[in-house]
Amino acid sequence: MFRAEGLCKSFGALEVARGISLQLPRGARHAIVGPNGSGKTTLFNLLSGELRPDAGQVYIEGRDVTSLSPDARARAGLTRSFQKNNLFPDLTVLESLAVAVGIGVGAGTIFWRPFVRSTEIYRRAAAIAERIRLTPFLDAVVGTLPYGTQRQLEIGLALAIEPKILLLDEPTAGMSADETAEMAKLIADLPGELALLVIEHDMEIVFDFARRITVLDYGSVLAEGTPAEIRASPEVRRRYLGETAR
Amino acid sequence: MNRIPPAQRRIVAVALLAAASAAWWFSGYAGQDRIGEIAIAAIFAMSLDLLVGYGGMVSLGHALFFGLGAYALAGLTLFLKWPPAAALPLAILLTGLVALVIGRLIIHLTGVFFIMVTLAFGQMGWAWFARDKVFGGIGGLSGIPQLDLSILDADLANPADFALVALTVATLVYLALARLIDSPFGAVVSAVHRNENRARALGCPVQHYKLAVFTVAAMLAALAGTLQAQRTGFVSPDLLVWTSSGEVLIMVIIGGLGSLLGPIVGAALWTLLHHYLSAVTPYWMAIMGAFFIAIVLLAGEGLYGALARLTRSRRRV
Repeated sequence: MFRAEGLCKSFGALEVARGISLQLPRGARHAIVGPNGSGKTTLFNLLSGELRPDAGQVYIEGRDVTSLSPDARARAGLTRSFQKNNLFPDLTVLESLAVAVGIGVGAGTIFWRPFVRSTEIYRRAAAIAERIRLTPFLDAVVGTLPYGTQRQLEIGLALAIEPKILLLDEPTAGMSADETAEMAKLIADLPGELALLVIEHDMEIVFDFARRITVLDYGSVLAEGTPAEIRASPEVRRRYLGETAR
Repeated sequence: MNRIPPAQRRIVAVALLAAASAAWWFSGYAGQDRIGEIAIAAIFAMSLDLLVGYGGMVSLGHALFFGLGAYALAGLTLFLKWPPAAALPLAILLTGLVALVIGRLIIHLTGVFFIMVTLAFGQMGWAWFARDKVFGGIGGLSGIPQLDLSILDADLANPADFALVALTVATLVYLALARLIDSPFGAVVSAVHRNENRARALGCPVQHYKLAVFTVAAMLAALAGTLQAQRTGFVSPDLLVWTSSGEVLIMVIIGGLGSLLGPIVGAALWTLLHHYLSAVTPYWMAIMGAFFIAIVLLAGEGLYGALARLTRSRRRV
């Protein structure tokens, strides 16, 4: 479904990705962990096309997309959420989701019929709002919503284009305990066939949803395996888990 | 960006059209000529509002397309002897082609770089026509033939008839733009303006949309330019000088970016102030400047934004 091979990226003398490889089969539940500055978000930018790798390839369903822009990769089935909320703050929840669905189905070429009459698009937008538990906020202006609720919409927008591969960048960043629990449920309820790759600091969440974990350190893969293998790895315990998950 | 419910926009649009019709009815020769001028400025301002207010692309060279439309019409009618009825649409199409090429080159630029490059293209156009002898250089060209509207029993040389025709065209442009803005296309364009990065991450081919907006805005500016050449029968490099681009941007900002109707009011105010103040005092530019500054400081969203805020607060009471 999705494959990255030997991704390398340097900014000047700073190597932020050193030969990272990754495979996500259909329905994958894969987590990326690692200390701050280990290159997690850089890896996401390489996978989603916001950065071009110096070396290595990215494949979506066997097709080499390494040279494609983020929008072309999104049309090929890969999209992402962002670590910092990256929304349309002055639209309502429903309007935001509707425009995202509209982009997903390529409705933007229609320039004569009023958008509000695209009932099928609005129906799908409402369905996504239900999936991300935002039905009570359909008509609320996004910028006025609590932070955690905006975080949910962050994922909703990505879901709106019905991706095959979804990258979530720290979905619980900055959330309270309650909000984190809500987000964990939301992640657990994501469509089963979706290949999911998540950067997450909260190890409880990671061990909860992930079936595979990649540990990054200084831009390279320190370890990869099932949660049990990662938990058991002495090197990971020493370099990463030991310091944060106490 | 102002967010205007279509129902509210329709009411204001009807009120504006009624005001324009009343002004036409009660005006004499000079006043009706002024109305024609305002209608042209309004089309020009609406086209720039599409680009700046909805598309988020701030241009200081929009007069280039206004001027190109007028010059294309002049060239087609005077040199190639085309009838105005055929030359008008072709002039607009040709300008659209130029916009497509320029847009393709510059559409990826953002912020101050986009502003400066549009300014540069505008000034290149001005410098070309100021030098070029074929189109009369700095002195321009006159004697552009007018559209024959005798089937409608109208004569464009008559300011009353011209004003009616220009008002009709402005109304049609408004209706078309309102449709465009409310459409899925318009929704995607606004989304790109609000958050280009996110729109791209969702799979939107952002550059295509921006290029489409740039080209449509240029063609509507060209339409306004051809009407101007029809009104005066004359083209000169002044049509595309950069201060002309600046003035139309001021009209849009006074009226309210992204409100479509606000820029019409801005165009009317600016044109009227220009005429009546310059007749009264040689310092009229200073007064216009003070007026512009006051609007920006007191009503950041322009007149339309201020109006919307007033009605909103009254509803809350």
